[in-house]
Amino acid sequence: MTDSPTLSFQGGTLVIAHLKADQPPGDPFQWIKGKWRCEAYHYPDVNVDGVRDTVPRWQPLNCQLDDSRVSHDFQNEAIDAWESAGRRGSIVLPTGAGKTFVAVQAIHRANRSALIVAPTIDLLHQWYARLSNALNTEVGVYYGAEKQVRPLTVTTYHSAGNLIAEHGNTFKMIVFDEVHHLPAPSWGETALMSPSPFRLGLTATYPEDHEMENGRWHIDRLIGPIVYQKRVSDLIGKRLADYRTQRIRVDLNKEERAAYEADFAIYAGFFRSRRLRETHGANWLLELMRLSAFERDARAALLARHRILRLLAGCEGKLDALAQLLREHISEQILIFTESNDTVYELSRRHLIPALTHETKAAERKRLLEAFREGTYPALVTSKVLNEGVDVPEAKVAIVLGGTSSAREYIQRLGRVLRKTGNLEAVLYEVIARDTVDEGRAQRRRPKAGTV
Amino acid sequence: MLTGELVRPRLVQHGTTLEVKTLRDADRAWLRTAGDLITLWERHTGRTRDAWESAVEEYLGDRVDYIIVRGLAKVLADAATFASPTTLITPEDLRQQLFAAGPAFETRDLFHPQTRHDRLATIAAQLEIAPDALEAALYADRIGAQTITEAGRDWTPAELIARYNLELHRGVLYWSNLMEVQIHDTFKDFWRYLKLFKLMFEAYPIEGGYHVTLDGPISPFVRSTTRYGQQFAAFLPALFLCERWSMRATIRNSKFDRELIYRLDHTAPLTSHFTRSGDFDSRMEADFAAEFQDKLGDARGKWLLTREDEVLLLGDTVMIPDFAFTHQDDGRRALVEIVGFWHPDYLKRKLAKVRAAGRDDLILLVYEGVNLTGEKLDDVPGEILYFATKPVIKEVMAAVERRAR
Repeated sequence: MTDSPTLSFQGGTLVIAHLKADQPPGDPFQWIKGKWRCEAYHYPDVNVDGVRDTVPRWQPLNCQLDDSRVSHDFQNEAIDAWESAGRRGSIVLPTGAGKTFVAVQAIHRANRSALIVAPTIDLLHQWYARLSNALNTEVGVYYGAEKQVRPLTVTTYHSAGNLIAEHGNTFKMIVFDEVHHLPAPSWGETALMSPSPFRLGLTATYPEDHEMENGRWHIDRLIGPIVYQKRVSDLIGKRLADYRTQRIRVDLNKEERAAYEADFAIYAGFFRSRRLRETHGANWLLELMRLSAFERDARAALLARHRILRLLAGCEGKLDALAQLLREHISEQILIFTESNDTVYELSRRHLIPALTHETKAAERKRLLEAFREGTYPALVTSKVLNEGVDVPEAKVAIVLGGTSSAREYIQRLGRVLRKTGNLEAVLYEVIARDTVDEGRAQRRRPKAGTV
Repeated sequence: MLTGELVRPRLVQHGTTLEVKTLRDADRAWLRTAGDLITLWERHTGRTRDAWESAVEEYLGDRVDYIIVRGLAKVLADAATFASPTTLITPEDLRQQLFAAGPAFETRDLFHPQTRHDRLATIAAQLEIAPDALEAALYADRIGAQTITEAGRDWTPAELIARYNLELHRGVLYWSNLMEVQIHDTFKDFWRYLKLFKLMFEAYPIEGGYHVTLDGPISPFVRSTTRYGQQFAAFLPALFLCERWSMRATIRNSKFDRELIYRLDHTAPLTSHFTRSGDFDSRMEADFAAEFQDKLGDARGKWLLTREDEVLLLGDTVMIPDFAFTHQDDGRRALVEIVGFWHPDYLKRKLAKVRAAGRDDLILLVYEGVNLTGEKLDDVPGEILYFATKPVIKEVMAAVERRAR
């Protein structure tokens, strides 16, 4: 029996077996390492007569759409536009305009196995929850801590390469959430390695052409052009609910104060004598870390900084203030933020309230957020997982203990917690330790005028 | 393997080449540190990952060489087995029960007649588990709560340092997009591990060996990819099984503003922890070699027998015949492959490879029990000799004389 030419998917490429060097199949195939090969993203355009095609492993989803939300006209227009463009290209909608909703509808209408690529694990979990609920089906997740591949799977840009190399031909559709990340060299590669003919990009900020050259990928080339675009001004803006910020200053106790002053002297002494902020600007911490690998003073300063942050995260005054706030607001939905993972688990143990961190697995995370949303759990303590675009269930009260100094994060946390709170006034409590670096940090955390 | 952040600070640039700062294995201070860590490690068998990690940090104190010490500690932990502790109730179920009643507090008030302590006691009674055990089970599924169930191996300080150095060399390859290798022996193990780590290769013969380029399917299309770096790193110790080898990798790391070359060869003091396959794959090969040695070996014959010294390159796979005969005067050679213990699929694959090789200097020794039809064997180049129980040396040597070239 002579073997007939066969097209197969191999590690992000298309390979023709049993076709000799002198039988060129034409563009885009190249003769490499004894076989005719090309990048997998050419698959929809590949048409080779007499070659058996073993690439597609995709299948119908046949899911029941169970999304009670009524779609807006612009959302339907967006899906129609994407479909008439041959199910290729990007939809550009402002933040909060329901991009996930659009994608869920598009997946349901395409009714073929689909892969969703999200930039962060938090967003991966959010997709997992949305898809499980809206399409009533088992959803696979594929990232560092969990790896199950199903006809509907969510992954991160970081893990997508490995997943696609192995299972790229399982999916007829691929969705890139926050597609403006795709031009990054190693992330764009994942789109190059995927044979999926249906490609959907979602973003609020499509990159400019000059941001997609010089070694960066052009999104148009990888998944198709923009097929639909709406700006904030085109849509009726959803106003943020009114809220108030309440700052609570607590004192360190005697021992804490002594430990703090001792460590602060070490840390600040080094910091000032080396003028790190003047010489390295925003990168001062990186420089401190670099120095700490060979200068004993720098190492001591870095260790002192760690101790300070640990002390401030869990100092007695903050714990007491938290207990008091929890008691005051017991009938409302309360979200507690703290920077340190250890503190999250300490608080969870201390008050027997659920914790949500990067360690929490997809299924439990989904259950926790749903229970919080329904009010089964009135309080939830979390570290950084609720950042950047993640749908946080509505809460009336947010309590920030610690937290990082980036203003952006602060705004995002605020906006999210205090979204759609009905008639009740929402409150954000910021609990800081008096006369410590917290005060400066909290100051920096305040948004610049005009950015809210 | 080490994490990138434990390797990166050890990388140094010299012009266009990259070097990694390893530890001198005779360095007293490092032997002492390695010894301390091993003692600390032994004391932590049965304890948690968290306990081990804080013990390492405590040992470190304000030492500035913490990147190395953490690296040594990582080598110890990587060789060990960790497991989540078994609990009487699964942690997630327990959390669901304990958290259902909302926030708990240390003291009572009007709205919270039950304190945290009371809630724990109530649930503990319901589940018939001691409150302490409940506390322990609450987050027993976290990574840090895993306990060290097996220490992995008994280390000497010198061994730990040697292994750490090896891991540094491996770590460099995380940022590699292409690895080129020259090998001169131990071909079979080399290819066995290539396959195991799912690497793509392209090989051509060079004087006394092979030049092999390693990469993955997508590499030819995107030269910048470091997607296979982890696999190169995993594979590296297979090279150390060879007596003579050299390796050259191109490295892209944002620490340096250009692509750098990283070289290693057999003069580096590196030993492999990979297992070497035995001298012979089967009894039959061993017997054949012994009988040849007995009857025709040494000065009595003109033919020199060597094991697996030639690789037949067959596109994306290779075949390594069991023996090669080389004429001691004129250098003519013939290859011998013993087809003994078999399975139909195995045999089919083997014959397909032989056919693809198209080499008429290849002699197949087939046991009669092998059920092949004459027509299938017709298009196999070279000689096929059948034997009932074992190959007859005289007949084999006659075939070698006929086929050698």
